[in-house]
Amino acid sequence: MSLASKERTLARGLVAPALLWTLAFFVVPFLAMLALSFAHMEGRKIVQGFDPGNYLRAFTDWSQLKALINSVEITLTVTVISVVLAWPLAAIIAWRVPQRFQRLALLLAVLPFWTSYVVRSYSWLLVLGKNGVINQALMGLGVVAEPLALASSRTATVIGFVHFFVMLLTLTIYANLVQLSPNYARAAQDLGAGRFATFAHVILPLTLPGVITGAFVTFVLCIGDYITPQILGGNTELTLPQLIMLQMGRSGNFPMASALSVILMAVVSLAYAGCSRWLRLDRI
Amino acid sequence: MTASVSIQSVTQSYGAAIALNDVSLDIAAGEFVVLLGPSGCGKTTLLNLIGGFAEPVAGRILIGGRDMAGVGPAQRPTTTVFQDYALFPHMTLAQNVGFGLRMRGMGRDQRRAKAEEILDLVGLPAKSDRRPHELSGGQRQRVALARALAVAPDVLLLDEPLGALDLKLRRAMQDELKAIQRRVGTTFVHVTHDQEEAMAIADRIVVMNAGKIADLGPPREVYLHPKSLFSAAFMGEINQIPVQNGQSPFGPVIGTTGTLLIRPEAIGLSGTLPLGPCRIIDAAFFGTHLRAHVAPLAAPDLCLTVHLPPTSTVTDGEVLTLAATDFVFLEA
Amino acid sequence: MRILSWVYLCLAYAFVLLPVVVLVVFSFQDGRLPVPPFQGFSLQWYEKILSDTGLMTALWHSALVAFVSSAVALVLGFLAAHALARVRLPGSVVLRGVLIAPMTVSYLIIALGLLTLFNQTGIKLSLWTAGIGHVVINLPLCFAMAYAAMGDHQKTAERAARDLGASEAQVLWLISAPMLAPALAAAFFLSVTFSWDEFIIAFLLTRFDVTLPVEIWSMLRSGLSPATNAVGSLVFLVSITAVVMAEVFVFRRAK
Repeated sequence: MSLASKERTLARGLVAPALLWTLAFFVVPFLAMLALSFAHMEGRKIVQGFDPGNYLRAFTDWSQLKALINSVEITLTVTVISVVLAWPLAAIIAWRVPQRFQRLALLLAVLPFWTSYVVRSYSWLLVLGKNGVINQALMGLGVVAEPLALASSRTATVIGFVHFFVMLLTLTIYANLVQLSPNYARAAQDLGAGRFATFAHVILPLTLPGVITGAFVTFVLCIGDYITPQILGGNTELTLPQLIMLQMGRSGNFPMASALSVILMAVVSLAYAGCSRWLRLDRI
Repeated sequence: MTASVSIQSVTQSYGAAIALNDVSLDIAAGEFVVLLGPSGCGKTTLLNLIGGFAEPVAGRILIGGRDMAGVGPAQRPTTTVFQDYALFPHMTLAQNVGFGLRMRGMGRDQRRAKAEEILDLVGLPAKSDRRPHELSGGQRQRVALARALAVAPDVLLLDEPLGALDLKLRRAMQDELKAIQRRVGTTFVHVTHDQEEAMAIADRIVVMNAGKIADLGPPREVYLHPKSLFSAAFMGEINQIPVQNGQSPFGPVIGTTGTLLIRPEAIGLSGTLPLGPCRIIDAAFFGTHLRAHVAPLAAPDLCLTVHLPPTSTVTDGEVLTLAATDFVFLEA
Repeated sequence: MRILSWVYLCLAYAFVLLPVVVLVVFSFQDGRLPVPPFQGFSLQWYEKILSDTGLMTALWHSALVAFVSSAVALVLGFLAAHALARVRLPGSVVLRGVLIAPMTVSYLIIALGLLTLFNQTGIKLSLWTAGIGHVVINLPLCFAMAYAAMGDHQKTAERAARDLGASEAQVLWLISAPMLAPALAAAFFLSVTFSWDEFIIAFLLTRFDVTLPVEIWSMLRSGLSPATNAVGSLVFLVSITAVVMAEVFVFRRAK
């Protein structure tokens, strides 16, 4: 056997465990789920077959379709707000905070990462709830007479999400900004660009790949999250993950849950296709 | 401790690109051979084939008379000094140098003693507990050499080992490399694109171009009597004068049709090949010589480079009668 | 402009830190509700949760799943990255794509797929099944981080080791792994963090032996309680300690 083929055999041997794991516990389960999504329920029994009924229902039954629309709306809102809030925060830490305090500033900005994700959503209940910190403060100051209905709403869900993703995006955008040579801005200004022109034509385009990658990750994590809307959204409206859990839990309708999951994945793939040109997933 | 290397009709290609085209070369045991050529000429490919990092698509490589087909780098009696040294950053110098011995099952204390001995040989005594990042470029180079020598290879392969050093250090290391080779007696195969380095250290230079051997021989031979236009030009500055049926632009010379090659330093006020009166176009002082461009009056379009003695004084436009002491004629 | 920056920074910190501060402060509440007014300092809720065996078992389960699944993910990811970074196999690009793919899929979908598989094959749900799910989500991360860390420098060092007679296992153990130690440590640390805090996979793929996030989830059903604050604060404290330790011992030394 030649050296090159020996090397290849060895390499295959080293890749095999990871590949088999991914195939057995990711690809095969996904295919099983895909197959299940074309099954249907008869009473409490799952009947295998090729029945596109679940997908038809997802797009024609308003209660199902509404969940998809809610999810997309919330996710887009969260992504946009998070980027808009995180960019200046990352920029201030990268450019205004003195070098030796930057790590500390960053660590402080992402501190809540280190508590449990479930607890973090819950802690917003303490802030936004009827007897929560904000309402008590506002009433104490006499700004409002009655507590505001802040929790159990889409607003609360969005706030909870934005809180998490501002931290995430601050990290990714900061990493992007500190890599930029200050000479780009100097060169632009040297060539007569004003502050705004420098920002619009040089700094922003250079950070765009980082921002888009962060935004994509935000989109993926946000649209698939069950916890935050479940804790903060109350039962006023459902998101797609909540609906999936509901189909599974309450009615044991695994085929419908599977179909909705496939749709969820399709939405993510669509988002991926939309920004794949700029994505640097290998560089997160 | 030393072995011959025989390269027999070796061809190597990467897809459609041919890196080596039917190359044959015999290297004697204990010889210091330098593979010289521009980047992409195939010299590093050849080195990798000897080291076992790749296998030729055709041809055979024998080391010490043994066919190396299917033998991996670990099993070959060769070791390599890599261009970027490839020192293990997480190990001390002693651990780096002792690595090959460790792989051969030598005990810790013995390894350490041997490593210190070799570090001493390459001029790095009492540094065995340092780590690579604490060293200068020249010192790292010595460690890489020590590591490769520690396992007492029959053939040492050096892939542009001095390439990362500055010029002054490079010249100093050349002498040392040569001295170390004399002392250990191992066959050295050294790759470089620097012809001065090649001349300084080689027993024999192999000039390569476009996947083929363009010339080979001792430095003096390759420099003074190149066997190809390529090696003539690569070894140093040379005047190339076209000759048609024995007629050069400045008069009749020996030979038929081909190229007359004259080194700048072979041209002077006297010599066996008269160039006739020449006009000085410009001149510049180089310390060891005065470098001038001249045009023979008989062929005003021809521009020759000549090295005149540093003591001579010439003015632009002056006419001198020049001749060549040494020259080569390559038939077309 | 300068003042505006500092104002923005302060507001951002207020927004980011507000819920955590509220969480921690009201974990010391001497009363039944973790909302204002603050009725006095008390450690009663910490006492309560520390003596809650269900919670402590869940904590142990979480740590177990996090460490074991991260170790498996790291080994598999490192080996695959080592092979793919070095040898050009036919279909290398596809292989890398397949290995990275789980990163772009929601945890919920991974969990649902595995649940379907386990249901159909009759595998009983346990901590192990959740651990399998956690390896699936952490493997791409470990693979990508190890792969990204393997530069040319690494490759020539491995070549040199092979040249000096090292076997493939020796190259992996004596050269590649130590040289990549900072990246591997970072990958392991991140994996542990993700697994430790992961909810939906653990929720759907465990039955009786639950992990901490799942246990906390069930605590939430009973409404607001300073006990939940205390658990959250405790997790926070443990995580911060781990971060600081990692920062000091692993990453500082690697520089």
